[in-house]
Amino acid sequence: MNKPLMKEMQTFWERKENQSSPCKKPKPPKPENVITIAVSSRALFNMDQEQDIYEQQGMEDYLNYQIQHENEPFTPGPAFPFVKAVEAVNARLRDLYPDSEELFDVVLMTSNHAHVGLRLINSINHHRLFIERFCMTGGNSPIGYLKAYHTNLYLSADSLKVREAIEQGIAAATVFSQGKITEVSETQLRVAFDGDAVLFSDESERIYKAHGLDKFFEHEKAHENKPLDHGPLKGFLEALGRLQQKFYAKGQRLDCPIRTYLVTARSAASSGTRALKTLRSWGLETDEALFLAGAPKGPMLEKIRPHIFFDDQMFHVEGAAELGTVAAHVPYGIAQRFPSKTGKDVKKDFSAKQL
Amino acid sequence: MEDNKICTGPLMIALQYNDLFDLDKLSTSTNTDALPKGRAFTFIKAVQTVNERLVDQNKTESLLFEVILIAKECSEEFKRKIVESVKHYGLEIGKFYFCKKEELINTLQSNKVKLFVSTDRDAVYNALHTGIPAALLNDQADHHILNKLKVIFSGDVIGFSEDTLDSLSDFGFSETQIETFKAAKIRMKEFAVLIGQMRRKFGLENSPLCTCVLTVWGSRNICATALKTLREWGLDADEAFCLAGAPCRPILAVVKPHILLDGGLHNIPESQ
Repeated sequence: MNKPLMKEMQTFWERKENQSSPCKKPKPPKPENVITIAVSSRALFNMDQEQDIYEQQGMEDYLNYQIQHENEPFTPGPAFPFVKAVEAVNARLRDLYPDSEELFDVVLMTSNHAHVGLRLINSINHHRLFIERFCMTGGNSPIGYLKAYHTNLYLSADSLKVREAIEQGIAAATVFSQGKITEVSETQLRVAFDGDAVLFSDESERIYKAHGLDKFFEHEKAHENKPLDHGPLKGFLEALGRLQQKFYAKGQRLDCPIRTYLVTARSAASSGTRALKTLRSWGLETDEALFLAGAPKGPMLEKIRPHIFFDDQMFHVEGAAELGTVAAHVPYGIAQRFPSKTGKDVKKDFSAKQL
Repeated sequence: MEDNKICTGPLMIALQYNDLFDLDKLSTSTNTDALPKGRAFTFIKAVQTVNERLVDQNKTESLLFEVILIAKECSEEFKRKIVESVKHYGLEIGKFYFCKKEELINTLQSNKVKLFVSTDRDAVYNALHTGIPAALLNDQADHHILNKLKVIFSGDVIGFSEDTLDSLSDFGFSETQIETFKAAKIRMKEFAVLIGQMRRKFGLENSPLCTCVLTVWGSRNICATALKTLREWGLDADEAFCLAGAPCRPILAVVKPHILLDGGLHNIPESQ
C-alpha cells in the first residue's frame, strides 16, 4: 500500500482544517525543536468549583457535572496569563523567523478523564488559545507523557505530581489559584526566579539552615568564585535566553518580548556576588537582578508584575500571592523538609484528594 | 444514541497463532512443554480478565469475548502442540482453525468475527478491504499490563468527515483505498458499540477495559468530533491524546495499548 510521507499528510489535514476555520492557524512545530510547556487543566483554567465537587461528592458526580456544563467554558486559571504571554512571544518569533520551529509549544497535560475533554476543548476554543496537543490520561500519572514530549516546564495545581516530576528531573512548579488578580502585560512575557534551590542548587541554603546566617555569609564569601551547582529551573532560564538571543539578533533588545528577573533574598553587598558569577559562568543572565537582603519579595514582585514567579519556599510563594503575583512553588531542596512556615496551602495539598 | 439494540452473544475475536506464539524463538527455546509466548499474549490475558470481571458481576452474562485461533495447515503433531500450549498457559481459546493462507478471509467471514487482530499491517488492511473489522495488535516489548485491556480508536478516522476522506485522492490514495477507510469507519462503529456496552458494565475507576482516542494529525476540533461521535455510538472514552503531528511512538510507549483501530490509515513509519 502506498505510504505517503507523514509531513505531507499533516499539511493536508491542516489545509482542510483551515478551510473551515475563520482564522488561519499556524502549524504546530515538531517537539524536538521547541520549548515545551506542559500545563494541567487546573493550572490553565479555574476549576475550583468542580474540584470541590470531586473532593466532596466523588468522581461520578464530578464527571456528570462537567458533562452537564460542557458548553460553558472555564474561566482563566493561574497559568492562563502566562500561556497568553507565551503565545504573544510565539507570534513575534513567527514574524521574525517564519521558517523556524524554535518556538514555545504549550501542551495540555491533565489526568482528567476524556469525559471532561469536550469541555476543555470548548474552553480552549473560547479563549482562542493555540493549544493543539494534549494528553488526558484518565487518572494515570502524566510523568511518562511529560518525558515523551521532552517537557521543558510543567505547571500543575497538584503538588504531588509536581514533586514527582522534579524527582524525575523535569522542571516543574505548583501553581495556586489567585486571590487578588493583578493585570500583567499582554505583550511582554515576564518570568521571575528565586535563586537558591530554583536556579541554583540548595547547597547554600543547607548551610544557612544548619549553621545560621553568619556561617552562610562566610561560606559564600569564601566560595565566591566557585559556581553553585544548578537547580531545577536552570534549563528553563537557558531556554528563555536562547529565544531572547533570537530577538537581539534582529536588533530587538530594547523591545524584547521576554524579560527575566532574579529575585533573591541574597544581598547585593555580599552573597549576591556568587549568584551573579554562577550565572555568568553558565553563560546566562537575567535582565534584572533584585537582591532583597532578606526583605519580603511580595512588594518588589508587585512592581515587576511577572506572569509567574518561581520560589522553593511556600513562605515566599504565599507572600507574593497575597499581593497578586502568580507564584509557583518549586518543591526542591532542603526547604521542603524544614519549611520556615507551614502555609495553609501546603496542608491543604496533602489532605485533599487530587485529580 | 443511534443503535439502541442491546447486543448479546459473544464478541468474537480472531487472531493468528504466530502472534500468540513466538515461532522465531522455537529453535532456541528450552521449554519443551509449550511454545514460546508471542506478542499477543498480554492481549489474550487482558481479554480474559475482562471476561472474568464480567462474569463476576453477572453469572449469566452473554456479552463476553470469545477468541478463535487461526493457524496454517500443519502436521498433527504440531496441531497438538498448539492446543497443548494454549492449555499450558491457561488461555481460553474457543475454537481452533487450521487452514491455508488464502482461506483466512473466508474463515473470518464465516465466523462473523467482530474483530480480527494481527501485528501484520497488510493482513489488517486486507481484512478491512473485504469488510471484516480489523485492528493492529501492538507489538510492545514489555508485558506489564495483564489486568487491563487497552483499546485505541483513531480520532483521525472517526473525526474526519466523509468529504475529507474523499479528498485523500489528492494524496495518491486510490479510490479502493478510500472506500476501505470509509468501510473501516463503519466497522469501527460496530465494534465501538459493543465495547461501549461492555465498558458501561464497569465503573469509572478500576475498570479492566480502557478505551482511548488517539488523534495523530487532526486538530483538537477533530479530536472533539471524534469524542462526540464515539459518545453517540455509546462509548465514552477514558483517555484522549491529540498529537498535532508529533511522533506517535513515544506516546504509544507510555499508553501501552493492546490494539489500535485505525482503519489502516496510519501505517506509522518505523522512524516515528
